[in-house]
Amino acid sequence: MARSVETLVVGGVIGDVLDMFTPASEFTVQCGSKKVTNGCDIKPSAAADKPHVQILGHPLSSNLYTLVMVDPDAPSPSEPRLREWLHWIVADIPEGHDATKGRELVAYMGPQPPTGIHRYILALFKQEGAMEGRIQVTDVRANFSTRRFAAQNRLGLPVAAVYFNSQREPAAKKR
Amino acid sequence: MPMAMAMPVTTDCGSGSRWSMVSLKSALPPLASSIKLPCRRRTPPPRTRSPQLVRSFSALSPVNPLHSLGFSDMSSFGQNFTIIDNGCRFFAMRHGRRVPKLNRPPDQRRALLRGLTTQLLKHGRIKTTRARASAVRKYVDKMITLAKDGSLHKRRQALGFIYEKQIVHALFAEVPDRYGKRNGGYTRIIRTLPRRGDNAPMAYIELV
Repeated sequence: MARSVETLVVGGVIGDVLDMFTPASEFTVQCGSKKVTNGCDIKPSAAADKPHVQILGHPLSSNLYTLVMVDPDAPSPSEPRLREWLHWIVADIPEGHDATKGRELVAYMGPQPPTGIHRYILALFKQEGAMEGRIQVTDVRANFSTRRFAAQNRLGLPVAAVYFNSQREPAAKKR
Repeated sequence: MPMAMAMPVTTDCGSGSRWSMVSLKSALPPLASSIKLPCRRRTPPPRTRSPQLVRSFSALSPVNPLHSLGFSDMSSFGQNFTIIDNGCRFFAMRHGRRVPKLNRPPDQRRALLRGLTTQLLKHGRIKTTRARASAVRKYVDKMITLAKDGSLHKRRQALGFIYEKQIVHALFAEVPDRYGKRNGGYTRIIRTLPRRGDNAPMAYIELV
């Protein structure tokens, strides 16, 4: 699926957050009723709850995956001082299942872009084995580095990624 | 030499025999510039002693010169004029013209582009129509180039273009670190889904 990698390169995801990879797995993300495709617009109100993430594959396979969600444009795309802002980490997701079957290491925080249009990247890594306690989790969400996290936990390159855009909704309801 | 002037005029138009050259010569002021048409016109001579080559002229001219050959009245002049100042080179197609007009008169166009560059520099990424995004690239690159230079004169030039001065000062402070090594191409355009209201093709434009 070279097509999806190209959109990630064009959107700057590969380069800012991830390294070039070849997609090995597929997963679908759904925010509410909307399926997330690369670069689509999702309102923060629609993404306030955990999106439904389903990893495609054979449910009886023993592969486990880790899902990481970050925002590289915090607090503003023109000045991303807090790149990347960590939103969600779920580990030990069995293949063919959704993210609720995994262990949530960092609780989900919905997109709340203060200014500008932010990208929200969901990256999927394949684990070597089950990680019960070996994963270290920080409680500081700012200045997270997905690459460092993957290197520390021996996750290697991601196997799939998707990203969507989100911007602050106007407070007052439009007439 | 009025006589020399009159000669090409009679040979040019076939129906010039209708005109009496003597009366024409006496009626018209001694124009030095070559006149293509035997119409009575009160334009002052722009040049002196131009060559006899009946060529383009920068005065007013009716659209179809053949029509007014037989006219002796001036009433058709008002309707038929198009001001052609590129030497009669007027084409119906847009071939090779590169300025995007954005469906606006020039003053509004300039204001739109200034506003878009201000907002792009302020927010880092904006969503707009594709035509506007590709039109604004040039101006954003210009602003970043001014900031790379960094002198007072360039700062004042940037202040004259961008609407908010805080953005100019922030730009001049930040650009050397951020774009010091990059030569050009400071923006990226990502096309996206069309807008719901009018199906206009949209795009994100962001600072690289």
